[in-house]
Amino acid sequence: MTTLRSFSRAFVLLPIVAVLLVVPMALAEAPRTLHGLAPLANDQEVPLKLLPPGAFDPDEGPSDVIFPPQQITVRFNHAKHLAKMVGATCKTCHGAAYRSASAADTLLPKGAVCDACHSTDHEDIAKVKPGDEDMGQCAFCHLGYKAKDGNAVAQVQIPRPNLLFNHKAHADRNIGCPQCHGAVDELELATRDQLPRMRGCFHCHQMSDAASQGDAKSECDTCHLKGDQGTGIKTMFASGTLSPPRWLHNSEHTPDFIERHKTVAADDSTYCANCHKSDFCTDCHDGRVRPRSVHPSDYLNMHAIEARMATQKCTSCHREQSFCLDCHMRVGVSESSPTADRDSGRFHPPKSVWSDPPRKPGHHAFEAERNLNACVSCHIERDCVACHGAQGIGAGFDPHQNGFVGGCAMELRRNPRPCFVCHEKTDPVLGKCQ
Amino acid sequence: MAFGLPLLTPFAARAMDPELTSDTAAQFYDVRSPTGETTLSRRRLTTMLGLSAYDLLKAPPGDPKAPDMSLRVRLRYDADFGAPSSVTDPSAPTAATSFVPGFSQGLVDVMYAYLEGRRFLKGWLGFRLGRQYVVDALGWWSFDGGEVSLTTPYFVKAEVYGGLEQRGGMPLSTSRFEADGIWTGNRQGLDRSLYTSFQPVSLGPALGAAIESTGVTWIHGRLTYRRVYNTGDSNVSEYASGVVTPAIYNGLRIGSDRLGYAMDASWSSVGGAKGGIVYDFYRSEVTHAYGSIDAYLGQKVTLSADYDYYVPSYDGDSIFNFFAGEPTNDAGLRANVDVSRNLSIAGGAQVRIFDVQTAQFAPGGAGPYSPSSNYSMAATYFPTNGHPFDKGGYLHARWRTGETQIALRGAGDVGDEGQRVGGDLSAEHVFETHYVVSGRAGVWQWQDLLRPDRDATTVNYVAAVGYRFGPRSQAMVDWEHDINRLVGQRFRLMLLLTLATK
Repeated sequence: MTTLRSFSRAFVLLPIVAVLLVVPMALAEAPRTLHGLAPLANDQEVPLKLLPPGAFDPDEGPSDVIFPPQQITVRFNHAKHLAKMVGATCKTCHGAAYRSASAADTLLPKGAVCDACHSTDHEDIAKVKPGDEDMGQCAFCHLGYKAKDGNAVAQVQIPRPNLLFNHKAHADRNIGCPQCHGAVDELELATRDQLPRMRGCFHCHQMSDAASQGDAKSECDTCHLKGDQGTGIKTMFASGTLSPPRWLHNSEHTPDFIERHKTVAADDSTYCANCHKSDFCTDCHDGRVRPRSVHPSDYLNMHAIEARMATQKCTSCHREQSFCLDCHMRVGVSESSPTADRDSGRFHPPKSVWSDPPRKPGHHAFEAERNLNACVSCHIERDCVACHGAQGIGAGFDPHQNGFVGGCAMELRRNPRPCFVCHEKTDPVLGKCQ
Repeated sequence: MAFGLPLLTPFAARAMDPELTSDTAAQFYDVRSPTGETTLSRRRLTTMLGLSAYDLLKAPPGDPKAPDMSLRVRLRYDADFGAPSSVTDPSAPTAATSFVPGFSQGLVDVMYAYLEGRRFLKGWLGFRLGRQYVVDALGWWSFDGGEVSLTTPYFVKAEVYGGLEQRGGMPLSTSRFEADGIWTGNRQGLDRSLYTSFQPVSLGPALGAAIESTGVTWIHGRLTYRRVYNTGDSNVSEYASGVVTPAIYNGLRIGSDRLGYAMDASWSSVGGAKGGIVYDFYRSEVTHAYGSIDAYLGQKVTLSADYDYYVPSYDGDSIFNFFAGEPTNDAGLRANVDVSRNLSIAGGAQVRIFDVQTAQFAPGGAGPYSPSSNYSMAATYFPTNGHPFDKGGYLHARWRTGETQIALRGAGDVGDEGQRVGGDLSAEHVFETHYVVSGRAGVWQWQDLLRPDRDATTVNYVAAVGYRFGPRSQAMVDWEHDINRLVGQRFRLMLLLTLATK
């Protein structure tokens, strides 16, 4: 009985709940599709196939530095205008692009281009007359327009790109608009996203500086503005600083680029020179002021640790037998320091470990094997010859590697000078190398 | 310069783009020993003057085919006012116990001075005349002379050059670019029997050639060869003391003779690879080889692996080439994450594997060394591990906008010889385009395992303020303060002035 009563109540309440739910939904305005305000309706994400060639998936748009942010204050639907029904082509509105030789040229159509279809009159830009139909009203295209604004509309602001570009030269070679701008004919509003990607330029620009290869050269200054700092291209702009993309020579200037830039420079230093003057390199590689980007503060005290571990990094900037030795001699840590300054034993372990037999880890022989450069930063050849020379105190602790005699003839022939440091010319041992 | 000036004259009447720059740094600091005495007092003034003229041919703007010519000169004055005359003057009364040969040579040097031409003969011909740099797989190098390059339409560029290597002790030169291992300089004023290890500087005729790819951007390679000769007198008697006339070797001989190759390839949506190798003809062995692979994981993450093989090599005159220097092998992994357009984080870890002798020499065997008869086997203990290794890692982060940059750099290296761990946090901000404020603070701890008494923790900071006159002109005052238990407190004051005409 109770169950039947509950069922009856539910049966009565159900239509009420349904009415409460459905009526407000029915009364609510259906979602409105917004056209012409973004590349796709309702600002949907543009699929990769419609973006300019060279875009990534996902794509972050073209460089902010090259193409500074724009302010587009009109509503426009390219797809609709380029559809067969309307029959416009790119040239209908952007005819100037086919004659333009400079990226600084304004290539947007004037309002008068719209007049024929929209029944407007933009002839006198100070006294624009709207058309009779809806699509002839100012607010139809000009965003934010209100009747009380009269003839005033918000200006479209498209800063000039920081780039060299000759539209005419490209058009003359039958390079179509989509090859740089993507499928604008399938999109509505064209924004910065429809501007070219550098990666896309390289689809053609793969030619050398030499003649007979056309103009599609890959030199940076083919497209980038000329530098005013003695560099190939200009890198500093109000919109930011140019930096290479990751995919170009794998040379993205990451926070650790200083650790690995040598591989880029060793392969193609002229690529670096497009942005950096020699001064930029010499500040570290031939510098006289310690660069903190390389050496932290108080490096003077701790540099010996890095030298102990291995010194190939040091030698990329410092010549050891001048830069290092000069200072080491003067502060007295070198074997060859002037006698007034010499304070031996400030770097090496005790003699019992460093030079006495038996040879064991920590002995100078092993340390030299693993890091000979560290020796060279303090010692001149006399320090070594004292023991390793054929005559003298050590009388021949042979430093040569096994098999040396087999190949020494070539070394003797090419430069006998180091041989004579340890071996007198009459030394019979030299005969093995002749 | 001498080559360049006559050629410049015909263009002097044309419009050109001149540039004058000046960079000056005055440094004031003392170096102290662990026991607190001042061992080196530096009052150093470094000034560089740059004179350049671009676009000497007044090329039409935006024409990628137009020939281009420029002149670039940079001079440097680097004076150390802290050096007493006994260190620099061999005739000073206490020079016998204090004089350092070669010290203070090269107060003024010409860093570079060359006339450069590009895209002549319809893009085929390029050249450089004067003191210039060459940067490639063989390193960073400078010479006085000429370079000519031919860029063909077949994606290949050829280059030949020749002249004299820039060497320390020569007028207006530094020793930075000579092969290492020889203590060289101007012996003027020194008796031949004194400081015999200090070799007299001599001319270093050099020649080189290179072939590299051009045009194609996704792959590039450069094959380069260079030979440098040593000439003139060289002392070979190490212990001549005035009693015996030092033996002199004089002859044309090889200074360095190397072939190098470097390449990189990138596939923009996948990753890239780089590699290089250097073969030393004098040593008859590969002295350097490296490779790296980058993998792009999405748009923001790059994972990489590196390998580097290195054997030290020296000038052909140096005996150090004959000492057993074993290779090091570095292997590492690193990653970079571009968190946003402003923030990037990079980190990595690596091991450095050393090769050392581990086996006794057996006559006729394959042991690595051939000790002479006075070599006592009994007195030698050979390490059981022939491949000791160090390990380390780093973490760098950078956040930057147009006016502000904040950077963190941390690193650690640990090995049999010692360790170093620490980090720096630095920041710079530009107020109202003119006022520059920067600071840095760091803590580093290091330990020398071969000298256990030399371990310390350094706390340091840097504070700097400056005024920016223009995009490339500014004045700064920079104060550095380091504190550690070995030398107490150390200060450095730097005054920096950079001026540019545009």
